[in-house]
Amino acid sequence: MTTATAPARVNLKPKPNYETTAWKWMRYSGVLLVPLVWIHVAIQDVIVGVHNIDINYVALRWANIGWQVYDILLLAFTFAHGMNGLRQVSFDFFQSDKARRNLSWIIFVAWLVISFIGAMAIIGGARTHLLEP
Amino acid sequence: MEVTLRVFRYNPEAGRTKPSYDSWTLQDVDPTDRVLDLLEHVKGYHDGTLSFRRSCAHGVCGSDAMRINGRNYLACKVLVRDLNSTTITVEPILGLKVLKDLIVDMEPFFESYRSVMPYMVSDEVPADGKERLQSIEQRERFDDTTKCILCAACTTSCPSFWGDGKYVGPATIVNAHRFIFDSRDQAAGERLEILNEQQGVWRCRTAFNCTEACPREIHITQAIAEVKHAITSGNVD
Repeated sequence: MTTATAPARVNLKPKPNYETTAWKWMRYSGVLLVPLVWIHVAIQDVIVGVHNIDINYVALRWANIGWQVYDILLLAFTFAHGMNGLRQVSFDFFQSDKARRNLSWIIFVAWLVISFIGAMAIIGGARTHLLEP
Repeated sequence: MEVTLRVFRYNPEAGRTKPSYDSWTLQDVDPTDRVLDLLEHVKGYHDGTLSFRRSCAHGVCGSDAMRINGRNYLACKVLVRDLNSTTITVEPILGLKVLKDLIVDMEPFFESYRSVMPYMVSDEVPADGKERLQSIEQRERFDDTTKCILCAACTTSCPSFWGDGKYVGPATIVNAHRFIFDSRDQAAGERLEILNEQQGVWRCRTAFNCTEACPREIHITQAIAEVKHAITSGNVD
């Protein structure tokens, strides 16, 4: 029996749009969050322990640029992952294109502003001298 | 066995403008009776105004998808014993407008189905002028999604569809999958473009309700994931 060689079906990838990017973002940030969150939980809650965390510990941790970057990434990715999920869920309640577009922008700006404030707090570090009597 | 059958009723033409439930206690029900048999019995002997769709009554035509004890089934496939309950509540499938009793307006469902060009598109003339041949492997690639009978059990079990009726829904994606992965078809790119839109595959949140509801046991969530992958990679092999 002979079978025909099917015509090559290549270059079928649609031009990525906002939805494609948002979906990919959910997957990639989800994968990245697994190590980021578990390392965070292991150190803070298991190795150090929540009751041993005080401002001196935080100051020490944030004096290291590596931990600063780590915590900023953790904040930004976790928050973005959650906000993107919120965007998806909110679409159930806002069905006009205009409302969805506005909502997407509001959520994006909220993510940007709060991530920026968080990043500034981390970069600013813990000021232990303010605790001195 | 004795079974209490509760059925959703709504018939604005006959003055039943407020949705309500009617109950019948049926005697001598055999555990191997189908829910469709109970509905037919009620319609034949108790209330001839009870309205529902049915055609082949053998799980092939896909007319009688209903919500039975909270889950989508074909009334002609589900047996009384499968439900493990002596009270059986039958309601119309969710997310489509109820016209009368268990009958819903299927037009939005079929409109969505038509949007992905559910037919083979090929301008190529076959080598022998007659047949477009395919290997066993090429045919196998989309075999699962050829089984769809368009009963809408999957789409109307999907929470994303309940939330937004403009979402194309799992049945549409399944039928797009059937042609996207068909090596003979030449319009896969266009279908992927359509499903890449805001109301396309990205509204799927992998709840798996569709896979559980499908009376043909199609792996719907997997098919949707394959379409998502095809959109992001451009690969339809």
